[in-house]
Amino acid sequence: MSLLEVRDLNVWFDLPEGEQLHAVRGVSLDLDAGERVGLVGESGCGKTTIVLSLLGLLPPSATVAGEVCFEGESILTGSEEAMQLYRWRSISMVFQGAMNALNPVKTVEAQIVEPMQLHEVAEGSEASRRAGELLEMVGIPAAAGSRYPHEFSGGMRQRAALAMALACEPKVLLADEPTTALDVMVQAQILELLVALARDLDLALVLVTHDLPVVAQVCERAAVMYAGEIVETGPMDALFHSPRHPYTRLLFAATPSLHGEEEVVSIPGTPPRLDREIVGCPFHPRCDRVFDRCRVEHPELTSLGDERLAGCHLNDEWVGAGRGGG
Amino acid sequence: MGMRADLGEESAKLQEPQPRRGRGRLRRSWLWLVVSKSFQAKVGLAVLLFFITIAILAPWIMPYDVHTPVGPPYEPPSWEHPLGLDDGGIDMVSLLIQGGRISLVVGFAATLVAMLIGGGIGIIAGYFGGRSDNILMRITDYFLVIPDLPLAIIVAAVWGASLSHLIFVIALLLWTTTARIVRAQVKSGRERVYVMRARSLGASDSRIIFRHVLPQIGPLLVATVVLTVAVAIFDETALTFLGLGDPTAITWGSIIEFAFLRTAISAGAWWAVIPAGLCVAFVIMGCFWFGRAIEDALNPRLNVSYLSPRTFRIRPLPDAEQESG
Amino acid sequence: MRRADYVIKRVAFAIITVFVAITINFFLFRVLPGDAVRNLSRVPRASEEFRHSLEVQFGLDKPLWEQYLIYLRELSRGNMGVSFSNQQPVWSNLREALLNTIPMATLGTVMAIVIGIVTGVLSAWRRGNTSDHVSTNLAIAFYSFPTQWLALVVLIYMSAWFPSHGMTDPFLIDPTPWEHFVDVMRHMALPSLVFALTLYGEYTLIVRSAMLETLGEDYVLTARAKGVPQRRIVVRHAFRNALLPTTTLIALSLGYIVAGAILIETVFSWPGIGNAVYQAVTERDYPMLQGAFLVLTISVVFFNLLADLLYFRLDPRITE
Repeated sequence: MSLLEVRDLNVWFDLPEGEQLHAVRGVSLDLDAGERVGLVGESGCGKTTIVLSLLGLLPPSATVAGEVCFEGESILTGSEEAMQLYRWRSISMVFQGAMNALNPVKTVEAQIVEPMQLHEVAEGSEASRRAGELLEMVGIPAAAGSRYPHEFSGGMRQRAALAMALACEPKVLLADEPTTALDVMVQAQILELLVALARDLDLALVLVTHDLPVVAQVCERAAVMYAGEIVETGPMDALFHSPRHPYTRLLFAATPSLHGEEEVVSIPGTPPRLDREIVGCPFHPRCDRVFDRCRVEHPELTSLGDERLAGCHLNDEWVGAGRGGG
Repeated sequence: MGMRADLGEESAKLQEPQPRRGRGRLRRSWLWLVVSKSFQAKVGLAVLLFFITIAILAPWIMPYDVHTPVGPPYEPPSWEHPLGLDDGGIDMVSLLIQGGRISLVVGFAATLVAMLIGGGIGIIAGYFGGRSDNILMRITDYFLVIPDLPLAIIVAAVWGASLSHLIFVIALLLWTTTARIVRAQVKSGRERVYVMRARSLGASDSRIIFRHVLPQIGPLLVATVVLTVAVAIFDETALTFLGLGDPTAITWGSIIEFAFLRTAISAGAWWAVIPAGLCVAFVIMGCFWFGRAIEDALNPRLNVSYLSPRTFRIRPLPDAEQESG
Repeated sequence: MRRADYVIKRVAFAIITVFVAITINFFLFRVLPGDAVRNLSRVPRASEEFRHSLEVQFGLDKPLWEQYLIYLRELSRGNMGVSFSNQQPVWSNLREALLNTIPMATLGTVMAIVIGIVTGVLSAWRRGNTSDHVSTNLAIAFYSFPTQWLALVVLIYMSAWFPSHGMTDPFLIDPTPWEHFVDVMRHMALPSLVFALTLYGEYTLIVRSAMLETLGEDYVLTARAKGVPQRRIVVRHAFRNALLPTTTLIALSLGYIVAGAILIETVFSWPGIGNAVYQAVTERDYPMLQGAFLVLTISVVFFNLLADLLYFRLDPRITE
């Protein structure tokens, strides 16, 4: 049994004219203790929505179906009180742009201490001491805790947000684009920090990002998302060297390499509209290996051995033929 | 008074530059856009048009003459006089219609003067920036803090009671807010690329102001004007009530004033008091709704809220037999 | 150091504004034609000697700029001339009136702030609901009602339960302190109610607007993710932040409070400073008018300063 199991998660959002946007389409995911998994994809592919669902933070305009289990217990019940038991204590989160994720009128320490007191993990001076320890752990002097967020630089704020996320010793940490707003040097440091923390604290990590080098640095395996679905999962190496979905391959190819001999390939076209039903493979209009079956039949995620899953008809051909690439 | 405060800070904040979508198209059809999308705009505009129409058609639709008594003082409402008679035996409905005319005229005139003065100052400060901006805004700041009504009272008391004086006094209260708002709008309009282009082509300042910046901020200026009219009408009723209005003019404010002075209350003549105030209130509300709708449309606020009494809904999977991925 | 700069700046601004008001006050009454206006010494029903002493006191035969300086000097001694109506020093009239206004206005304003905050917060939280629309439009309505009209309406319909004139019952002889207190409170009920009704609308709108902004901020989502119960987020996180623009805007409504005081006291004959202004206008009592303007302006400037400093305390981000 995995630490966190997501089964067939679907999320719809109400639109003004009465229609619905099907933002997450049957996503399943497993996370074991101490694992570092990446969730990769373009903006709007549904990755942030998935992560918010895990904490029950969806707006009232959302409708959810599917199951989310933490240590075997189903937590997606729609009850705010029930979710509050898991929030921060079992699963916590670091948000995109920690500039605003911290309350400007409270000290950093106060914000770290708050969940501790709320979830009865620690009180008073004990809580302050622990907050100081957490700050040190992320590379901020404990004394800085009495300062306000606006006195910190962007990178420091993100670290502080990280310290805050660890306040109740969660088993799972969700990181949504934790480094997007930071410059490259700071980015690298934060990512190193994440890896170190995950190892030292036996923390499971879900890293959501559109930035492939980031995933490569931090995660052991990743799930690639497109138009609300997972199209491929597998170990990072495998995804990079032998992708089994055209989107994965093109995604990795689209990242310019510093050694720059290859041409930068961009993927023409745009993702499909999510307020309508999608016929066939969602990627087929932009795929360079598209054929007839792709247009009518939706490819299901199939196992390709070695913990690899991919949703592409090409793999059937491959499996059938015994040879060939994705 | 307080509305001025709300106007000043709130609206000035709202005038921060926002991304535009298609300058030409938006400008020409902005009114349509606003009205069609917003129920609030429709109601506000309808109310305003209603009162304006009545004011324009006043001479033709007034049932009775406003200077001729047609019955005893404070006669209660009846079929011939749906809103009864005032203390002089004059038909209330006619009084209201006539009063509406003058009140609206005073409101619009005062707003016009305020926009000219305040707008002028705002344009200079916003466009030229630098020292003139600092000086002008300092002066405006001092005036902003001085309380409205007392200032208006001493000016009106010393100057004497007449309609034109009243208009100027009200404008005196309004100009500071309009100056601030126009300045904010001009500042944002000035930074547009095409303005810079015009400058580099050698266009003169006044040409740029009149042909580029003003049309650009036109819609928001309209919103400002509408909201200012509301305050002007409010101020008129207050000043007239205190005896500083034109004693010969009939306005909604004077109707309330006379009701008070001529003991309509003890006579139980609610019809001499309530309708006039309701008219004022409705016009102000109409201005408010319409003006706000324009602002909201042109400077949309993010609609996100992370808290709500309701939560998301759960539903069973659409197809239970389907294998999960 | 920077924070001290801010305080000094605001205090300097307040002082300068008061000077501007004083100057306007002075020149306005001198610039216009008419001896009665210019001549503070023309107190009706006063003796020649008295008038002459006033003339000397205020240097009314001297050139204008000297008069201005004398005016300032006398002002610093609390001498604002003598009322035309009751031949008493302006300041003592005003002081008594001010003391009458303060409890009534404070009660009304506090009620308005409380109602405004509660309805504003609830409206923002329930944004889009019917209850939000109802409460917002109700606030707009009350905000649009002319204050004096609202006072008259309350007078018409509620004078059965509460006294509607003055501050005390003239027939109450030798009241005990408690009786006196109750008497005053009963008289205060209607005026302060109208005060509350006329002010609360604006506060509701301000608070609602500020709350809507903060409710969309990321730190609110973070707080929810941390497992903080919604009620607590609203109060401790969102509202705490919304308090900042709210304080500023409430401070800016002080002018409205003064206007309200004038109009409401007139209708209810409450013997406060608002009523004093009204009487002064009606009786053309120019020294009182001048004095009242000054007192009111200084009060508003003072409370504005307080609000500035309060904001400063609340927001750790203020620097130069």
